[in-house]
Amino acid sequence: MSLTTMEDMIRLKNVSKIYSPNVAALQNISLHIKPGELVSVVGQSGTGKTTLAKLLFAEEQPTQGEVIIGGWDISRIKPAEVPYLRRQLGVVFQDYKLLSKKTVFENIAFALEAVGTGTRRINETVSQVLKIVNLADCGQRYPCQLSGGEQQRVAIARALIHKPKIIVADEPTGNLDTINTHEIVNLLKKINEFGTTVVLVTHNRDVVNHLHRRVITLSDGQIISDEEEGRYRL
Amino acid sequence: MSAFFRIIKFASQHFIRNFWLSLATVSILVLTLLTLDILLVLNLTASAALKNIENRVDVSASFKIGTEESDVQNAVSYLRSLVEVKDVVLNTPEEILTEFKTKHADNATILSSLDEVGENPFGYRLVIRANSVDNYPLILEALDNPSFRDKIEAKNFSDHEALLTKLSDVTNKIHLFGFLLFAIFLSIAVLIVLNTVRVTIFVHREEIAIMRLVGATGWFIRAPYLVEAAAFSFLAVLISAAIIVPIVLTLDPFFASYFESAVRFKDFFIGQAPLVFGLEFVGAALVCLGSTALAMRKYLRV
Repeated sequence: MSLTTMEDMIRLKNVSKIYSPNVAALQNISLHIKPGELVSVVGQSGTGKTTLAKLLFAEEQPTQGEVIIGGWDISRIKPAEVPYLRRQLGVVFQDYKLLSKKTVFENIAFALEAVGTGTRRINETVSQVLKIVNLADCGQRYPCQLSGGEQQRVAIARALIHKPKIIVADEPTGNLDTINTHEIVNLLKKINEFGTTVVLVTHNRDVVNHLHRRVITLSDGQIISDEEEGRYRL
Repeated sequence: MSAFFRIIKFASQHFIRNFWLSLATVSILVLTLLTLDILLVLNLTASAALKNIENRVDVSASFKIGTEESDVQNAVSYLRSLVEVKDVVLNTPEEILTEFKTKHADNATILSSLDEVGENPFGYRLVIRANSVDNYPLILEALDNPSFRDKIEAKNFSDHEALLTKLSDVTNKIHLFGFLLFAIFLSIAVLIVLNTVRVTIFVHREEIAIMRLVGATGWFIRAPYLVEAAAFSFLAVLISAAIIVPIVLTLDPFFASYFESAVRFKDFFIGQAPLVFGLEFVGAALVCLGSTALAMRKYLRV
């Protein structure tokens, strides 16, 4: 199903996620995110931010409720459909998840190789994406030869490779210093300006306050505030 | 097409990055296949040995001196009409005498005793061969036919039954031991393939996680492991063939002369190589693919 035809890019309705035996990571959450929005999801550790992110890229299934991502009903999605959903999403993690034995180019290309893209197309697309994240000269370097900020930019480049409509970034600045944090946030803003919906999961006060965008605040697995131009209030 | 080549590439990477584990897996598969090949060699040898001995079994019936040739011919016709009979050879008294003299040419006493007797002491003789060793009792019964029973002086059953039984017994024991050995190696092979795939999955866990994340299908993630399993089988068959073929080619002339060409390893392992090694590959591939599927089901989350 095409993501562009949907009014809401992301829609959660009465969603709960209970881990056995009786740990409620999310409780009765409802939210809507429109195409092209940049939304920060904030909250202290253990409030269900990462669980929410995992629901968005179908790593977890909700225990109750309905999760719709660009028309894909995650609560009813078949396992065989998950890869096709993920090709329409980009995911960025705090720990970058880069392959240390592959170069920057190979790390990004790997995402296309895994879905059967032809070699010529891979070469073209990877070069384009490397330019977007300002790493055009680093293609042949290995992750260990890059700074944390550069590694995260490689991870963002990989997330962008399928030209996704949604980027889910789970604590992307968690391991970075202030300068690199701003670089990554600016990059995410730039990506958002191109029309990509960005969901930024973070507990970094400065990042949230700098963005001046919508902020959803979680506490004990529940949404306690949802502000259009919010600030970090915990 | 790109996906196909990438699956081959990933499978090769799995194989090379876990080289020692891959080598151990292929080695145990080679041992299993060699055990199977040795069992085949033993089976061929045992069959040839049994056939060789069976060919030596016969019943001979000596007719009394003075029996008319027409009576003997009647007996021959009757015996040849029996389905249990493979062949009946008629020896005339003259032929038997000549044969006897040739056999005892070095023994002057025996030859002089023949001179004392004066006339040919032998009557007609029939040498009867059955289609199967199990048919000899029936042939012995047939020789009791009233029309010529009284004309037969002696029946001699060159009984190799004890030897046949012993050979059959030894062959069965060798087969049993071989199958046990084969079963042990097969079990070890299954366990090693399972473990190899498990370790490979562990080594590639980050890549697998990223492949899942970027939308690789389950089939694309699993396929390299299946290709690797097929490669294990192919290599094992290739190596075991490279070991067994020169051995059987070396042994072939010795066995062929000993068993009077009844056994030809060359015909089996070279003449029917596509069938023999093809079936071995199919068998090994089934074992490896089955073990891999089991390991993936247990350890690979896609």
